[in-house]
Order: sequence, then structure tokens, then C-alpha cells
Amino acid sequence: MKLRSHRIIAAVAVTAAAALTLAGCSGGGSSSSFESTTPKELSGTVSFWHFFSDREAKVIQSVVDDFEKKNPKVTVEVHSGQDDEKLRKAIATGSKVDVGLSYSTDIVGNFCSTGAFRSLNKVIERDKVDMSQFSPTVKSYTEFKGTRCSMPMLADVYGLYYNKKLLQAAGFQSPPKTLGELETMADKLTTFNPDGSIKTLGFNPTMGWYENAASHYGPAADADWLKADGTSAISASPGWTDLITWQKAFVDKIGWDKLNTFTSGLGQEFSADNAFQKGAVAMNLDGEYRTAFIADQAKDLDYGTAPFPTADGHTELYGGGYLTGNIIGISKGSKHPELAWALLKYLTTDTGALVKLANGLKNVPTTTDALKSPDLEVSEQYKTFLDIASNEHVATTPASPLGAGYQQTFQDWWNKYQSEGGDLKSGLKSVDKQIDDALALTTGP
Amino acid sequence: MTATIAREGRTATARPSRARTKRNLVTLALLAPALLGLIIFFVYPLIASVYYSFTRFDLVSPPEWIGLRNYTYLFTQDPNVWQATLNTLWFVVIWVPVKIVFALLIAGLLARAKSASGFWRTLFYLPALVPPVASVVAFVFLFNPGTGPVNQILKAIGIQGPLWFNDPAWSKPSLVLLGVWVMGDIMIIFLASLLDVPREQYEAASLDGASGLQQVRYVTLPSISPVLLFAVVTGVIAAIQYFTEAAVASGVASGKAVVGEGIGNNLGYPNGSLLTYTQWLYVRGFSTYQLGYASALAVLLFVVASVILILLLRRFKAFTPEGAR
Amino acid sequence: MTSTTLSRPTSASPTAPPKRKKPRRRGTALLGWIAEHTVLVALGILFIAPIVFVTLTSLMGSDQTLTASLWPNPFRWDNYVTVFTTVPLLQWFGNSALYAVLATVFMLVSSVPAAYALAKIKFRGANVLFTAIIIAMLLPPQVTAIPIYVMWSNLGLTGSLWPLILPNLLGDAFSIFLLRQFFLTIPTEYSDAARIDGNGEFGVLWRVVLPMAKPGIAATAIFMFFSSWNDYYGPLLYTSENPDAWPVAYGLASFRGVHGTDWGLTMAMTMLVTIPVVLIFFFAQRVFVEGITLTGVKG
Repeated sequence: MKLRSHRIIAAVAVTAAAALTLAGCSGGGSSSSFESTTPKELSGTVSFWHFFSDREAKVIQSVVDDFEKKNPKVTVEVHSGQDDEKLRKAIATGSKVDVGLSYSTDIVGNFCSTGAFRSLNKVIERDKVDMSQFSPTVKSYTEFKGTRCSMPMLADVYGLYYNKKLLQAAGFQSPPKTLGELETMADKLTTFNPDGSIKTLGFNPTMGWYENAASHYGPAADADWLKADGTSAISASPGWTDLITWQKAFVDKIGWDKLNTFTSGLGQEFSADNAFQKGAVAMNLDGEYRTAFIADQAKDLDYGTAPFPTADGHTELYGGGYLTGNIIGISKGSKHPELAWALLKYLTTDTGALVKLANGLKNVPTTTDALKSPDLEVSEQYKTFLDIASNEHVATTPASPLGAGYQQTFQDWWNKYQSEGGDLKSGLKSVDKQIDDALALTTGP
Repeated sequence: MTATIAREGRTATARPSRARTKRNLVTLALLAPALLGLIIFFVYPLIASVYYSFTRFDLVSPPEWIGLRNYTYLFTQDPNVWQATLNTLWFVVIWVPVKIVFALLIAGLLARAKSASGFWRTLFYLPALVPPVASVVAFVFLFNPGTGPVNQILKAIGIQGPLWFNDPAWSKPSLVLLGVWVMGDIMIIFLASLLDVPREQYEAASLDGASGLQQVRYVTLPSISPVLLFAVVTGVIAAIQYFTEAAVASGVASGKAVVGEGIGNNLGYPNGSLLTYTQWLYVRGFSTYQLGYASALAVLLFVVASVILILLLRRFKAFTPEGAR
Repeated sequence: MTSTTLSRPTSASPTAPPKRKKPRRRGTALLGWIAEHTVLVALGILFIAPIVFVTLTSLMGSDQTLTASLWPNPFRWDNYVTVFTTVPLLQWFGNSALYAVLATVFMLVSSVPAAYALAKIKFRGANVLFTAIIIAMLLPPQVTAIPIYVMWSNLGLTGSLWPLILPNLLGDAFSIFLLRQFFLTIPTEYSDAARIDGNGEFGVLWRVVLPMAKPGIAATAIFMFFSSWNDYYGPLLYTSENPDAWPVAYGLASFRGVHGTDWGLTMAMTMLVTIPVVLIFFFAQRVFVEGITLTGVKG
């Protein structure tokens, strides 16, 4: 008896100690740091994680191949299809990731403040990278509170796509410039089946469908997200009230059940069944990358692009839109920071690489040289987005330690509001409170 | 030490050490892996969860002690935990009984059917074999409000079908329908146990003049009660942890495929109606990386689950360890 | 049988909770039979319908799947081939098989001895241990998920299936519980006799108890195999960032995300994922049903 208890206690103690030791370490093991001078020779393997897949992943691969040709001793191990969640997981759990590319700027606030992406301030200065080649808006979304932990790699700009054939058939020669015009035109463009269900929709106002997100609509009414101290400005901003009221009225006019039934039967966004590409929806909010998808999946579609309509009381904003970008950084646990930095510099500042990427992905280049390059293929529809990107009224979503959390909170509420209704003012105030509470939990004492 | 009474072939108290020790060692050897497993994968994580729940921890940097902040947020500020809890309780209170009653009814029918009973048994059991992810994806497709076969057929007979997985009021009932479709594994157990009820008891009861319903109440139910309780306990456990079907249904029904979306983007679609407690825990832990807060959620889950299970187990005597025979 | 004259058959309506009854008078007997079988057939149709629809959809082209038509036109048998080329399905099957097989084997190695000890050996602390195992079995895995995840990430094994496979080397609570229940049904006389013959505990286990407990062990193994095969939450947590390690369950849920929802392909994949399971069931039917009834009835 005594013998057994002793053994059991000993076993427990040993394993507990081992377990606690394991728990004591946090993610990543040891990493290396940048050197004090730019290394002359580069060799080794560097891992590159990004979110693209299929056709777009091939474009990335071709540029990576170019980098490998220029640096014959370097091998790049590419992991595609990695969204922010997976990227975060991989960074947090070790040194698998050297370079990480995210599809939006949402993680910048979080990754910069937690150190998940390293600070690049020193190496930017060391290698004398010219930061003026990026526009101020683009520069702003790659840093948080003075720490620049990422560089911009191409941008996404959102505007209005419209089906020229359907518009002309309904008697419209040009796209709408205000949300009011959009609604009127959409009304005329909507057709019904004999049983009363929707056949084609002029414009789908359903929040949460495809690219219909609060962040994309914000610039249409100069709506504010966060105050300078990082707390929520949503209920205080009249722009949001205008937008929400407009959207809800639009939804109610069509009828939520009818709209929801129609929406659930639409094809999936990035497949060839995309509703706009199939002509099920006549006008749609989408990003500049859609031109590439149309060229690939719906060559015969006769379509036009224009800046997204502004709210009725904000016509001076016309020509702008929502801008976000892909951002690229070096993970905290990376064992090859110099290799990572070399790849990163290539992908973000090499004009040849950027033009190749822009032509393949149809994303907007982020350096002035790339924008001016004669090799940049600019179709009529694509040009709209280049113009929007350089328009003074273009806006982006602010960085926050919450990442995209504050946007998600607002979006979830709006998604509910569009079908359930309720008191708008108190709803917005509750959104404010949730965001402020979450901020306090993440950064507070 | 020499004993005056002879002992034969049994471990003697006069010489306890050798044989007993060997036996104890062997027992320990048999139990060692399991013991180790319990400590590493059960005892330690429970304690560690409690510790983490008092910290702010994002896995990138070491945990930072913040005392009761997580719990304050949980009980007073978290916008979703209340809905997540209610949703989970809905599954416990509605999904479990409906599945069990239905399984019992089908088992009862099969117990009576003598012809081709093997065929019926296989038919009703087959859906339970389908991997859960596959059955959810299939159901969401079939119940698509606009183009799915279910609403098509309903339309053909003049009924306007609801929006099923796209309607907050119908999404959970749709999952109950799924649960009923896959009740085959419980049904088989009920069937076996119904067939085990001694016929003499029924005969005796009807001799006493008992009606059909009374026979069920006084003969059938008591006889199958261990199995019934087993089904309830396993059902409740499954309901408390309900994750896969709800998460996959939300993802597929919302149709969102922003390339590279994580589970966090479609949480509980539509309108949070399918947000269960374990999904909320997962998102706070592995989507937004608030592992400290997620641990607080885990601790709360542990407390509530324990309470529910203790209440249930009190009535389940078969779980009392009888010791070795 | 003579008591039929005394009692009136009351179970004619299929909605009343049915039970085994003695043969009834012919007239009402026929009605009862018809009613019951009508219900059975109706329910049977409802139950088989989803499978039929899924099969039909799996043979449709993507242009047809979102329309109102229910019959494929033309029959796209190539969907089943396209699935294999669009998606690394064979690799996913391989991962699932690896996970399920290893998990089951490891579980047996570690859990059978422990269950035997709990069932057949009197030792101090047996009750406490068994209670602990029951609690571990009933607890939602999310309660312990986070520290275990941190542990695995410190060991550098996240992004693979090993965090899901390896713990089975240290026992699985549910399996230990099940196996113990099975072992308890083996009469003590056998194990006692073996001990008297001079066998040590290992001998008793190996020579006497195991051969007698084959059905129970098989049933437990089947449970473990299928719960690993169908596991979604585990792979979501540990392999989402590494597509090379995806098992079939996780791959199916992610499939419709990455490649746009071609419902025809998705349904074809659903069928492909289900067919191996059904095949195994048909071959091992007896063990299957026996095992399930044994666990339910004994549990």
C-alpha cells in the first residue's frame, strides 16, 4: 500500500513538473534577429504563407519563381490558401512561417502590437527603402502606433459593376451616382417569375452577401469607425445612420423573405456561378480583382465599372471608395529574417514583380513606379479602379488591436438589423459598447 | 515472523511483501498508460485552464495575469455568451428528447414487424453511418429555400416552404430534422432492448386487464429504463458539446466563400441562431486568440456540464463502480 | 395463447407505443399489419429520400444543380472522376485511414490493460480511478482543449494529426469504460481458475480474458475507428493550416469553400466519403450491431 502510494505520488509529481515546464514556454522557440548591415550573400530556405488559391496562386508562384531566379541559392517554400486565422495559428505555434501575406489590413493593428509580425522600422532605414513611393493612405494601413510591421503588397479598391446589356434594355445609359439613383434603377431592373419570386435583381442590398460589408459602404457617406483613442465612433457618426436607414428601406421594399430566398439560391462568389457574372444581379459592389475573374470565367459579359454611388447627402465624395490592401510581414518566430526581408522587399518594391502581380491578379499596384509602368495592362474597366485609388476621397478602415473584431461586431449587428429591425439608435449604441468593452479586455489594465 | 498456521498457494500475511508487491507492480504496469493519460490530458489541463482563465494570453507572448477581468467580461459584457448558452440549452432540452422519442417509436415499430425486419433495420440505420460533415452539407443543400428539392416538392403540393437553414427561427429545427435522420444508432439499442423484454410480463399484465398503454407504462418502460437513461446521458453530452453540425451548417448556408475565410466569419449564421457555446469558445480561443478569455469560458462550461451530469448520473446506478469481481 | 379470448388487441393504431404481442384475431390483425407497414414504408421513403437526392445531384452538372429540375440531364458520371482531380481526395482518405487505424491500435494497447485491471483486480483506489475516468469521458473536450493545444504547440506538432493520434497511447476514457463493462461480464471463475493455475495477471489477461472478450473489444475498436474517421473538431483545431494533413471530414467541409460550390461535385464527394463507411458496415455487420447493442444494453 505505502509502496504504491509513493509511486503514484512520484509519478504525478514528475509528470506535473514536466507538463508545467511545457506550459511555461510560449509559442515559437528561439528566433533570429536582423543583422546590422545588409547581407551580401543570400542562401537558404524561406517559407512564404499566403491566402491566394487556384488561378491567383499561380500568379504568385510565377513571381516567386522570378525571385528564386534572381537569388539562385534561395528556395522559397510556398503555402497557399492560408487565411488570417491559419496564419495566426502558424505564427503563434512556432517558426513555420517566415513571410506571411494577408488579404486585408485588419490584422495589422493586432500583429504590430503583439509582435506577431516583427517591426521593420530598423531594416527599412538600414536598407534605405524609399517610403515615399507609397501613397499616404497605403502607408497608413501598414503600421500601428509608430511600429511598421508590414509592407503593402498591392491594394484592393471597391466600386460598382454594372451589366451594360441589362441596363440598356431598361433604358439606362449610364450608371447611378447616388444611392437614391441606384435604388430607382435597381427597381426597374428587377424582374419576377410567374410565381412572384425574383428572377433577376437590379441590385442586392443584402448585408453580408458577397462583398456587401459595412466597411465597403462606409466611404459612401464618410462614416467613421473609431475615435483617435481607439474607441468606437459608430453611433456618433451620422454617415452610418444614413447608410443603414437607406439599406433597411431598400430591403423592406423588396421584402426580406423574398430577398433571402433569392439570395440563398445564388451561386458562390468566386465560382463561375457568381451572380453578377451570370446576370442574376444587374449591378453589384465588388473589388477590382473581379475584372480578372470575369476575363477568366465570363469573357462574353458586357459590363462597365464606375465608382460606387455616394449617399444622397454626400455627392462631393463621388469618385472615391473603399481601399484596403494585402499586407506582408515577417513572423516573430522566423529563423531566417534576412531571407524573409529580401523576399518581402522584392514583392513590395520591385516594379517588375508588382506589375506582373497586378496584371495577373488585377489588383491595384501600390508603388508610384508600378502605377506609371508602361507594362501595366489597363483595360477600360480596370482603369476605373486606378482612378478611385488615387482619388482624394478614398478611405480605409483604421487599425486596431482588435484586428477586424470591431468590424465584425458591427457587421453582425447590421446583419441582424436588416431582417429583424429594432431601434436604430440604441442598436448602434450597443455596438459601441461591445467594441469598447472588447478593447478594454484586450488592452486594458 | 514464522506463522504457525500453514498457508497454501495464497498470498500469506506472514510474508506480505513479495507476492503482494509483485501483484501491485503488475497492476500498476497495467494501469500506467491510462494513469499517465489521465494526468496529462485531464488533470493538468483542468488546472491549467483555471490558471489561464485569470490571464490575458494570445500564444505569441507569455500569459499576463489580469485577475478576474475575464470573468467580469464574461458575466457582464460579452455580447454573445448569453445567446450561445441559450442555443446550447435549446439543443439539450429539445434536440435530445425529440431524437430519443423518435428513435423509440421507430424501434417499437420494428420490434413488431416480423417480415423483412433486417431490411428495415438497415434502412433506418444507414443514415447514421454517413459522416456528420457529409450529412450536414447534404441537408443544407437539400433544404435550400429557393432551389432545394424539399421546397420544390412542398411547392408542388401547394405549401410555401420556410427558409430552413437561412431563417433564424428554422435553423435549429432544421438541425433537429438532421438529428432525427441519423438517430439510427440509438434506435438499434432501443430495438435490442425492446426485444429483450420478457413476454411473460406482457402476458401477465394483459391477464390482469392492463390496456396497451398501461402495458407500456408498467412493463416496457421500466424494462428498458437503463438503456433509456444511457441514451439520455449520451444525448445530453453530445448536446452540450454541439459543434460540428452547427458550425458546418452556418458556413454552408451562408454561402460565404471569401477566399480564405475562417470559422469566425459565419458564426452562428443566420443571426447567431446556430451559435453554440463550444463554437463561441473556439472562436475566442483560436480565431481572435484570446486564450485567457476562452479558458474562462472553458471553466464555466466545466462547471455547468458537471452540474448537469451529476444531476443525471444520480439516477443512473449502473455507473456506480462495483469494484472488481 | 389462450388469453387472446380475454384481451382485446389495443395496439392496432401505430401511433400508440407498440410492443410485442401475442397473435390477435385475424380481422384486426390485418388492419394493424397494414397500418404499421404503411407507416414504416412512408418513414422509409422519407429516410431514403435524402440519399436518393444526393445521389441524383452528384450526377448533375453545376448548371443544373441550382435549378428546380430534380433529374440529371445529362448524367455527369465524370463528376466522380473530377472530384479526384480537383481535390487531393486520395490523400485525404489516406490521412483519415492513418488517423483512424493508429488511434484504434494505440487505444487498444493502452486501454485494454487498464480496463482489465479495473474490472478484474481488487486494488485500492479503483473506485476513485473509475470515477475519474467517467468524469473524463463525460466532459466536453473544449474544457481541456486550450492547455493541451498550448502543450502541442510547444512540442511543435501542431499542423499535423499527431496531437490527435498520440494521446491514445495513454488510454481513451470512453474506451476504457466500455472495455471494463465488457470484462465485467466475463465470469470471475475463469480468471480465478487461471490464477490458481499459476498465471500472473498478464497471463490471465492474455490467455483467458481476451479471447472471451473478443466481441466487446471489436465493438470498442469500431467505435474508436469511426469516431476518428468522422472527427471534424480535432482536425479543425490541429490541421487547418496544413492541407497536406487534412482528413476527409475536414476536407469535405473546406472543399466547398475553396473551389466555389459546384454542388454536383460536392455531392459526389459526399457520396465518396460515405461509401467506404457503408462498405465496412456491410462486411462487419454482425460485429457492428452486436457491439452497439452490447454497449447500449450493458452501458
